[in-house]
Amino acid sequence: MQSSDQESNHGDSRRDFLKKSSLITAIALTPSVAVKAAENQADERFAELFEKIPLNLTVNNKNYKSAVEPRVTLLDYLREELHLTGTKKGCDHGQCGACTVHVDGERVNSCLSLAVMNEGKKITTIEGLANGEELHPMQAAFIKHDGFQCGYCTPGQIMSAVACVNEGHTNSRAEISEYMSGNICRCGAYPNIVDAIVEVSKGGIKA
Amino acid sequence: MEKRVLKDANDRVDGIYKVTGKAKYFAEYELPGLTYGVLVTSTITKGKITSLDTKAAEKAPGVVSVISHLNKPSAPAYEQEGGSPFKIFYTDKIFFNGQPIAIVVANTFERATYAASLVKVTYAKEDFNTDFEKAVTDVKAKKLQGQPEYKRGVENAYKTAEVKIEAKYHLPIETHNPMELHGIIADWRPNNQVTVYAKTQGVKATQGTIANVFKIPIENIQVNSEFVGGGFGMALRTWPLEIATVMASKHIAKPVKLVITRMQMFTMVGNRPAAVQTIGLGANKDGTLTGITHRAFGETSAYENFTEGVVNMAKFMYQCDNVNTQYTVVPVDLGVPIWMRGPGEATGAFALESAIDEMAHALDMDPLEFRIKNDPEKDQQRNKPFSDKNIKEAYRVGAQKIGWNERKNKPGSLIDGQWKYGFGVSIGVFNANRGRASVKGILKADGTLVLQSATSDIGPGTGTGMTLIASKLLGIPGDKIKFELGDSSLPPAPSQGGSATLSTVGSAVNDVCVSLKSTIAELAANSNMDATSNFVDVLKKNNLPQIEVTKQSQAGKEREDYSMYSFSIHFVKVKVHSLTGVVKVDKIVSVGDSGSIVSPKTARSQMVGGAVGGVGMALHEESIIDHRYGRYINNNFADYHVPVNADIPEIEVHFINKPDPYINPMGAKGMGEIALIGFSAAVANAVFNATGKRIRTLPITPDKVLAG
Amino acid sequence: MINFQYLRTTTAKSALALLSKDKNSKFLAGGTNLIDLMKRGVTAPEKLVDINHVPLKQIEQIGDKIVIGALASNTAVAENAIIKEKLPLLAMALNAGASAQLRNVATVGGNMMQRTRCGYFYDTEMPCNKRQPGSGCGALGGFNRMHAIFGTSDKCIAVHPSDMCVALIALDTIVVLASVKGERKISFKDFHRLAGDTPQLDNNLKADEMIIRLEISVNNLAKNSYYLKVRDRASYAFALVSVAAGMEISNNKITAIRLAMGGVAHKPWRLTASEDFLKGKEPSIENFKQAAKLAMTGAKGFGENDFKLQMAPNSIIEALTVAKSKA
Repeated sequence: MQSSDQESNHGDSRRDFLKKSSLITAIALTPSVAVKAAENQADERFAELFEKIPLNLTVNNKNYKSAVEPRVTLLDYLREELHLTGTKKGCDHGQCGACTVHVDGERVNSCLSLAVMNEGKKITTIEGLANGEELHPMQAAFIKHDGFQCGYCTPGQIMSAVACVNEGHTNSRAEISEYMSGNICRCGAYPNIVDAIVEVSKGGIKA
Repeated sequence: MEKRVLKDANDRVDGIYKVTGKAKYFAEYELPGLTYGVLVTSTITKGKITSLDTKAAEKAPGVVSVISHLNKPSAPAYEQEGGSPFKIFYTDKIFFNGQPIAIVVANTFERATYAASLVKVTYAKEDFNTDFEKAVTDVKAKKLQGQPEYKRGVENAYKTAEVKIEAKYHLPIETHNPMELHGIIADWRPNNQVTVYAKTQGVKATQGTIANVFKIPIENIQVNSEFVGGGFGMALRTWPLEIATVMASKHIAKPVKLVITRMQMFTMVGNRPAAVQTIGLGANKDGTLTGITHRAFGETSAYENFTEGVVNMAKFMYQCDNVNTQYTVVPVDLGVPIWMRGPGEATGAFALESAIDEMAHALDMDPLEFRIKNDPEKDQQRNKPFSDKNIKEAYRVGAQKIGWNERKNKPGSLIDGQWKYGFGVSIGVFNANRGRASVKGILKADGTLVLQSATSDIGPGTGTGMTLIASKLLGIPGDKIKFELGDSSLPPAPSQGGSATLSTVGSAVNDVCVSLKSTIAELAANSNMDATSNFVDVLKKNNLPQIEVTKQSQAGKEREDYSMYSFSIHFVKVKVHSLTGVVKVDKIVSVGDSGSIVSPKTARSQMVGGAVGGVGMALHEESIIDHRYGRYINNNFADYHVPVNADIPEIEVHFINKPDPYINPMGAKGMGEIALIGFSAAVANAVFNATGKRIRTLPITPDKVLAG
Repeated sequence: MINFQYLRTTTAKSALALLSKDKNSKFLAGGTNLIDLMKRGVTAPEKLVDINHVPLKQIEQIGDKIVIGALASNTAVAENAIIKEKLPLLAMALNAGASAQLRNVATVGGNMMQRTRCGYFYDTEMPCNKRQPGSGCGALGGFNRMHAIFGTSDKCIAVHPSDMCVALIALDTIVVLASVKGERKISFKDFHRLAGDTPQLDNNLKADEMIIRLEISVNNLAKNSYYLKVRDRASYAFALVSVAAGMEISNNKITAIRLAMGGVAHKPWRLTASEDFLKGKEPSIENFKQAAKLAMTGAKGFGENDFKLQMAPNSIIEALTVAKSKA
């Protein structure tokens, strides 16, 4: 299945599309198990092998080429496919911020983004923040100010905090709090998180 | 031992893993052949499953199996239906809406999710009630005894007092909602060897439960739970969904991972039970308390019973010769509750500490002065001295820090434009528990110390506290000490709950370190070395790569002689908008009186976190059910409000930091619960002081303030 | 979620062509609402047409009009210098909504198209006429604390959840729509619908149309603008009620006034009667109170949301007072 700039040949429903267009070509290129599945008219089981879309992503400066089902979110792709489990699933509905990553430098909730929407983009996750052994100043500041307890929201908080500083929303504690309100911390480390961001925004911490 | 540098001895020992994404939570372990489970849940509230059609689901792409009551594998403890606990997949009965009734296993999460939507279920419905407030008033409802009635002196003495107040307080259901979704990875291998990666506050408890359900030897079961993304009580038991996953793994002979949804977090992993409480207080005009009556109804489920310490505090926290309490639990057709941070004591403290404020107002007394006047010299309930209690000092320090002298006793006196300001205070108290735990210590010639115990860290900083205890006793820097936990094969320790871990496990760490120290001293003496020689030199001289010791520790007779509690005083300043009813917490001062502070940084964070939880309890949190359907209507993080960053002001924490001479070798008491207990009352009292409106139903949302 | 078909396109023309071929297809922009709804099973399109690469992200002033492309992100609009200077009400409303992360991907068009947050709409096991016409309204007689007090019907009392749209209706925005046949313009107040007998329809966008851009005439309201959002927590929560207020004051007289509310109706709610009353009058607290009273004509509570009958007029007074004092 193609994935860019197509205007023709894809107007049919999914099953019709499978049956009509790519079935024949696909079978020629597939392992016998799939052919057998098709022969058994196991439409759904067959579909599983072909309903993937090629995906080309850069994550933490490393290029990944793969094929994914369109319904796979960026979050699940990072966690389950790439095993980059630093990015957390807290609600899966854009309501907690635990899944925050940077896409082309901007913070987003990876749970509400399909992996395929990020074709060609540069993703940074918590695993890509440190420079080798040297922590990013925000990571060091979170340790210094104890900006977490259980640690589960922490990667999202830190990715969000780095973006908050980059965006320039650090003119007061109140502004930091407002722009960090998309990241829920159930352990209640908020004041410590603000302390960490204040320090980094003033350029006061070296890892 | 891996390289790990602590810039500050008080930094969290596992901080480096948490800030880099390297900390592995249960769902993040890679197992060969891992499959994904997704639950099918009931859409009715009470009744029976009449049919469960899995054909379409089983045919869907990637599906390995669908397990339900129709095809579950053997779980010997469940063979006899009925009784408690609830036996998942061994019944066709529905006890609550959202009850897990099948688990669909597929080779990807997306495929399992889709296939679960294809399972078709039909039911025979029965009448139900999910409305706790209705059940309380319904005389026909089956009422269960929650706790024996308590009476000291004259019953209901408040009724004949010079000044009396009587008031009713309502708490809704709250949901723990730790950030990490619940679930488990279960890997049932041939010969009944089971490994699980769990989200649990007690690896030994999880191990025991699985052994018991499946009747396999406890040694066959390995439970791993190194990092836990918050629990707040909800991970204190092994839930049916976890057993379901183990069953699924047994059934398909492959590892199965289940991570439930945020919506499912509301129905199947417990909640803080709703409560209705009545408090009667009587006092002389001079402010001497003469009678306390505390009656409480708490929510429980129809299929399992749950009780907690809602009325405990009334029995000893104030000097009063006449006290009576009653606690009754009332079943509704919902999932069974479980302790939530501060548990029943937090529920009770909201009522009692609001009532104390109401009485102070009735007496026209400063509520702080009223509390100090009725501060007990000894525990009247147990007729014992307190092991350690510095409440008056805590009051004084906290009052000074919050600026209590700005407070006016007359409500509504502090106004700035549309904002009205008010101050509130409350006390929190919780039993200073100490259980029994074992710790193994391995002191190595490379200069490092490894400590091991099957305890947990759901966030408070267990490893950090234990490292600091050992570091102080043995003079080894924290980054040369590794405290291993969250592994059922380690020496046993109780579950992390009831603010007991530092006291319980810390005591065993203490004993291990004392023992290691004396062994080193003996070895030094035997090899003609100076008694103060470095242990590395001593071990090397003796050609020992390492020495090991395991110690079990528990409380002694001192607990019979003294009444042991941790205390907190919460001071809150709020502002209330007179047109919109919005309440903003402006300043928080929490004072902890919980013995010595072992780990100052994490202790402070725990108090801060408790205050944040307290703001949620006071202003935001309520799990709402549509009782016509028995379904939660706000079962997500957008509609179930927990505080966000912008809700929280700067929080000042102060510790009395005096050792409790009797509790344990460190003189330290737990503070996880007291950080939250009472906090909601301080907010309600501050709202009253700001507006003159006494809100007795939590949470204090803008609509309630406007209605006042 | 079914494994839908995913297509990507770079022009509005091809996007519209792809959409018109399949009844059960939807445009995918930021996805912050659509993907959420798909995960909950509220909607299950078989085809998604990703329009994020269609060049509709402009934010510019052309003559006396400020033009905002339908795919400009909420952040891009809120942080834009022209918007901050000339339409601060819009920037304030945008920043009052969602979180920084969501605003980074949520688009202007998507914000307009977002569905209600009514819990009955989201739970496929409960009745909801909007999700499933004819199934009933769960909120009537149920949990309706967040629900509408204006323009309700016996089929639906849901509210439109947007903050941005409250500012846009106050700003007399023109919406430019396109289909394969060409473009058409409608007034923002005519974009969203009341529930009436067809609560399944949120707006008047036709099945073969897409939102292309917004056009807002430059005004003199910037100095005295304020967006007040009253909610259960300080941030990251939907409005109990919200008020967009913009005034032009000259010689202690209100020479121009725009007033709208959110969280009170199935669509952003313009307070025309209040505006008419205030025009030419002194910006006094007495007049604000009178305007607030006029705004409540026809308001009706459903039990749990009765408090809005008091909170709404109070909030109007507060918003006008703050807007006035901002100078």
